[in-house]
Order: sequence, then C-alpha cells, then structure tokens
Amino acid sequence: MTRAGRLARRAVLPILAVVSALLLGAVVIILTDFENLARFGTDPLGAVGAAIGGVATGYGSMLEGAFGDPSRIAAAIQSGAEKDIATAIRPLTETLVAAGPLIFTGLGVAISFRTGMFNIGGEGQMIVGALGATTTVIALAGNAPAGVILVAGVVVGTIGGGLWGFVPGFLKARTGAHEVITTIMLNYVAAQVVLFALRSEFLQAPGLGAPISKVLTPIADVPLIIDLPAIRLDYSFVVALVMAGLVSLLLFRTTKGFELRAAGFNLTAARYAGMSAGGSMMLAMFLAGALAGMGGSFMVIGTVGQLTNDLSLGIGFNAIALALLAGLRPGGVVLAALLFGALTTGGKNMGIVSGIPYDLLFFVQALVIMFVAAPGLVRAIYRLRAPKADAEVVA
Amino acid sequence: MTVASAATHAEGLAARRALRAARIRAIAFAAIGLLCFSAASSTLETAALFRFWVDRQGGASEKLETTVGVLWIVAGIAAGLVGALQFVRGAAFPWRRWLLVLLLPFVAAILAALLDGKAANLTGVLDGTLELAAPITLGALAGILSERSGMLNIALEGKMLMGACVAAITGSVALNATGDPLVGIVVGISAAMLSGALLGLLLGWLGIRHRVDQIIAGTVINIGAVGITNFLFLRILGRDTTLNTPPTIEPMRLPLLAEVPVLGPIFFTSKPYVYVAIALVLFLTYMIYRTRWGLRLRASGEKPAAAGTVGVNVLAIRYRALMYAGVLAGLAGSYLSLSSAGSFQMGMSAGRGFIALAAMIFGAWHPIGAFGAALVFGFADASQALLSILGVQVPPQLLNSVPYIVTIVVVAGVVGRVRGPAAAGQPYEQG
Repeated sequence: MTRAGRLARRAVLPILAVVSALLLGAVVIILTDFENLARFGTDPLGAVGAAIGGVATGYGSMLEGAFGDPSRIAAAIQSGAEKDIATAIRPLTETLVAAGPLIFTGLGVAISFRTGMFNIGGEGQMIVGALGATTTVIALAGNAPAGVILVAGVVVGTIGGGLWGFVPGFLKARTGAHEVITTIMLNYVAAQVVLFALRSEFLQAPGLGAPISKVLTPIADVPLIIDLPAIRLDYSFVVALVMAGLVSLLLFRTTKGFELRAAGFNLTAARYAGMSAGGSMMLAMFLAGALAGMGGSFMVIGTVGQLTNDLSLGIGFNAIALALLAGLRPGGVVLAALLFGALTTGGKNMGIVSGIPYDLLFFVQALVIMFVAAPGLVRAIYRLRAPKADAEVVA
Repeated sequence: MTVASAATHAEGLAARRALRAARIRAIAFAAIGLLCFSAASSTLETAALFRFWVDRQGGASEKLETTVGVLWIVAGIAAGLVGALQFVRGAAFPWRRWLLVLLLPFVAAILAALLDGKAANLTGVLDGTLELAAPITLGALAGILSERSGMLNIALEGKMLMGACVAAITGSVALNATGDPLVGIVVGISAAMLSGALLGLLLGWLGIRHRVDQIIAGTVINIGAVGITNFLFLRILGRDTTLNTPPTIEPMRLPLLAEVPVLGPIFFTSKPYVYVAIALVLFLTYMIYRTRWGLRLRASGEKPAAAGTVGVNVLAIRYRALMYAGVLAGLAGSYLSLSSAGSFQMGMSAGRGFIALAAMIFGAWHPIGAFGAALVFGFADASQALLSILGVQVPPQLLNSVPYIVTIVVVAGVVGRVRGPAAAGQPYEQG
C-alpha cells in the first residue's frame, strides 16, 4: 500500500470518531430543546424540521465561527481594505490562536502517554506556567528590554510548568502514587495557588477586586504574524509547530525517546533492559509540564495579555482528547489541535449566535476519546449501520 | 549462587531495608515530639477554650478549658511515646494505626494554636465532620466495591456530578408536579442512583466488553459528565430556575438518642445521609468479609483466573459491582445538590470523587478504614468553616487546598504503602 493510502486508512477511524461524537452531540441538542420536543405530538413533521434546523443553525454557526465566510474573505481581499480583511479572516486566525496552546499541551500529553503516564494535569501545569510567566514579566517591568522580558517570562513559565508536572512523575516513580489522582489534585491546588497569587498586591490589577493580574501587554508582548487590527495570531504558533518537530525528533530519533516509549510500552521489559523506568517517567512528566507551561506563558503574555484564574479553562482536558485522537503522534497532534481549535472558536460562536452552550464540546470530546479508545465500537456502528448514519440525526 | 540462596539473600536485604525505614520513622516521631515542646514553650499562657452544646445548638454548653501549650505538650509526649514504641518494636510496629491515634492531639493543638485564644464551639465542627464525611464515605464504598471486583473506578467524580445534576432536576420536577417534598426527595435520590448505575454499566461495557483501558474509560465519564451537566445547567437550568429548586433534605433528630447530653447534638441530629453512610459501612463490611458473595467479589479482584476456574462468573460479578458502585456514587452526588447546596451548581463535585478514592486507599480498601479516612477529610473541611467564621488569619485558598494536598500525600503512600486488590485494572478474558 502506498504511503498516502496508509495515511488515509489511519485517518478513517479518527474522522469517524469525531463525526460520531458530533452526531451524538446533535442528539443532545435536540433532546434538550423542550419547546420543540413538545411540538412532536401536534406537528411531528414541523418538529422534525425544526430539530434538524436547530442542529444546522448550531453547527452552522460553529463552522462559520471557526473558518469565516469564504465569499466574504475573497471580497475583502479584492477590495484591499485593511479593516475588511481583518474582520473577514479573523475567525480563521482565531482558530489558529486557539490551536496554539492546544498544540503545546497536546504534545505534552502525547509525551507523557507514550511513557505510560496518564497525565490529566495539563490544566494545572499550564496555569502554573502562566503564573510563573506573569510574575516574571511584572517583576522585570522597566528593568530590561521587552524582548528579554518576553524570553525570561516564557523560560520561567516553562520551567514552572515542568516542575508542576515533575511532581506526579516523581511520586509515581518513587511511591507508585497513581498519576491520574495526583495530577487532578494538583490541578485543584494550582487553581488555588493562582487565586491566592492573584490576590497579592504585586500581581493583581489595582482597583478591580477581581482575581485578574495587571495587563502585561505594555511590558512585553509576543510579535504578531499578521499585523492587522483585531488579529491576535502571533509567533507563538510558529514556536508550537517547531516544538512539534522537536518532540517528534526526541521521541523517534533519539535514544532517550526510545527509552521513554519503552517505559510506556512495557515497563518490566524496559527495566530488564537496564533502562531507568523511573527516570523516564520523571523526564516525561517534566517535559509534559514544561510544554503545557510554555503554552500557558505564551497565552498569558501574547493573546490574552493578563492572567485570570480561568485562563486554562478546559485546554488541559481538550489536550487529552486530541492527543488520543492523534494516535499520540506529534504531527497528528498538530492536525487534531487545528480541529479542536476550530471546535473551540466555533463553539464559542455557536454559544453567541444560537445559544447552544459551548460546554457541549466537553461532552463531544469525551465521546471522541471513547470512540478512539474503543475502535470496535466505531467499526460496529459503521459496518452495520453505515447507510443509516443520516437517520441518526433525526432520531 | 543458587536460586534458593538468591531468594534468601533478597529477603535479608528487604528485612534490613525495612528495619532501616523503621529506625528513620522512630527518629522522625521523636523529632516531631521535640518540635511540639518548642512550640509549647511560647504558648503556655495562650488559652484554649473548646465548647460543646449540651442538648441543642445554642443552648447550655459544656466547657473544656486549657492552654495551647498544654495541648502541644500532650501531642509532644504522644509523638515521643509512639517514636519509642516504633524504635523498640522495629519493622513489625503497626505505625499506620498509631499515626491515626496521634492525629487527635495534634489536630487539637493545631486548631487551638490557630484560634489563638478565641473560644470555639466544637459541636458544630464534629457534627459538620460527620456530615461532610458522608458523601466521601459513600464514594469510598463505591470505590471499594468496584476495585475489590477488579475494576478501577476513576469515574466516581463524574458519577457524583451526574448524580447531583439528575437529583436536582428530577427532584424539582417531582416537587413541582406533586407539591410534596418527600416525593421530590425520593424521586431525586432514586434518579440519581439510577444515573450512577447506568454510568457504572457504561464503564463496565467499555472496560470489559471493549477492553478500553479502565483509566481512559473513567476519564471519558468524568469529562463527559462535566460537559453534559454544564450544558444542561446553561441551556435549561439557567433559564428555568424552577427546574433547579429541588426539595432539600433537613437534619433528622433520632428519637431518644438525640436527647443524650453533649453526644446527642453531635451524632444523632445529623442529615439522614450520615446514618445511611454508617449503616452501609457496617453492612458492606459484613457482606464483603462474611458472605459467599463477598468471597467471590474479592476473588474476582485478587485472582480472577482462580475464581473463574471454580465456576465463578467473574465478568458478571464485575458488572454488578460497578452497578452497585454507581448507585452509591449517585447517592453521594444527590447529597451535594439535595442536602448540601439545595440546588445544582456547575462542577459542584469539586474533586470529591478523587478524595473518596484517596479515602479508600488510606482505609486499605476496607469499609471501616475508609470511613475513618473520610472522617479525617470531613474534619479538615469542617474546621475550615470554623476558622473562616472566627476570622482566623489563614488565606482561604490555602485552607481550600488542604484536602487536595492530603489526598496527594495519602495516594503517594507517605503514610505507609498499602496493597490494593491484585487484579484491579487488568482485563479478564472469560473462557
């Protein structure tokens, strides 16, 4: 089979997983539209139409929110007006903006999963990284050029996230403490730490009383790729792509990477081969935390510009779903992150336009994980009922 | 070296290592004792005043008066004694149990030190301890049931959250339809238990039938539950608040027992969940260790191949255990919305499912042990409320993270590693 054919075959299952998850999401949308459900008794045809219409509006607004309107983009580019171009391509660039942190965190999850560590701590690692970056930037304000502050902030944030990830790795290696429990507990602790820090005079934006930091943008900012008004896409996205390349090299072209994967593949065998399985766990968790922390740092310095306690909301969990969807391959992580970035920006637009809450996507992601983890399920559905896939939307 | 001598050599090594660990523990206990004495020297004059209500909240009270220094000295002596015992008895010393005994004087001393002379009403704290321990106990029992059968149950958190949401909605609907709070409560709790059972079966179906890694299957349920309950809250409950005003479960005075002075207001005027949790602890202890059913359950978790060989249907046992566990987790969830908060709020389980797992581990997979551990968590929660009411200067974020940090410490086995069911988490192929 050709290389392209293999790739296509490899993509079938993830695509079907996402499609099935979105279809089940549509079912939930329909079942929670009580006003329309009540119509089924009196006007069944109209109700079916409205149900399909409701889903179409919801998912349609999601598509438009994620990719924009192609004809409008073309018109804007022809007209050449800077402002028109910016508004037209904004959805597309926002998708990339959302994908950036997802790539960082997803790569981290992929490394840790490959090493056999089921790391659910992306949330915490990310926000601790963001806290480190914020503190560094505010501390250095006025004492160094903006570029130096940016680099220092990212470095401190990366190390901070790395250390936050290292703790569960260390505990697992030394005491056998299950990383699922420790990483989740550290997520809660991280949230409290950030809340505590954001109440300090040093970080908190004066006069608001809310847990929000001072604005970092005047002190340091990540340079933009496209310098247009209202476009937030910056060079952190390029860094994310570079990181994907580096992680790929590390995992598949170095001895260390082989040791990491060996520890995940068969711990006992790795130990008998004389590899330090504990060392691999700690290294993998440090790298995972560092990547998440780097994502958080770029996010807080670049796109968001200030630290809030809900900065990481859901990204750590999205990362799990997309890393599994990507088959834990760095290249796949980039593609899956683009997809999830589109879902995120689209989902927010769906919330604004059609009033269907964004949180539906968490449910969809859980289903994606389920379908990817249970390939038999997807095969069973589509081998037996492939022609009826459309009927499922109506049901 | 022959195989046999290699084995004895390894045994000798392990014994020496255990002895060294025991000595280190003894020194640590002694050091803690010394620290207590140094803390005592500066607090001998600070009053420590604990009050207990005699017959009901706000009525006559019984006082317990001493100084913080005295409490530190008591704690110090206790730590020293345990250290000495540990040193004499060596590796055989059951120090985990003694650690729990030590906890009492320490908590009293720390609490008194934090209160710094202010009087504290302990009846409320102890009553609150029991109440806050109830959902954690129920969750831990759910964990014990499933892990004893050989299924890891990371999904407790999601089942609790789902149970809380389902109980709030169905309870509200039933209350609105009948106007009878009791009907609302019964319907709400039943629906929550049903939702838990269904999620338990889903977990089993994914883990057993599709052989999905049990941790991943649990994560699916946890993330999915967050998604679906947030979605329902924002799309339905937020718009129509009549669907989120369930009947609330009030404390219940047990006849006669509630009249016992001092103890009555602590133990016998609690929410029904407390009584149910304690009853279930006793019931499950009996069921797991004294019945044929329990033996089969434990066999499925320890050595499923052996159980299968003598004709036990391991997979059926696992499915059922997960279903019962779901029922308990759903019940725990209903506590959150029907009893604690009075309505459903997004993410209201706040990690309690994982804390319950930590209680299960701390209690060595035994119902009574898990109940003891749940009490520790409940006390941490309840005293937190006390400190904030009294305006003690501890950052609330620090207090809020205590249960999570304790959970990490427990899971990391810093207080002694315990062994869980041998086959938990491993899929079993039934021949």
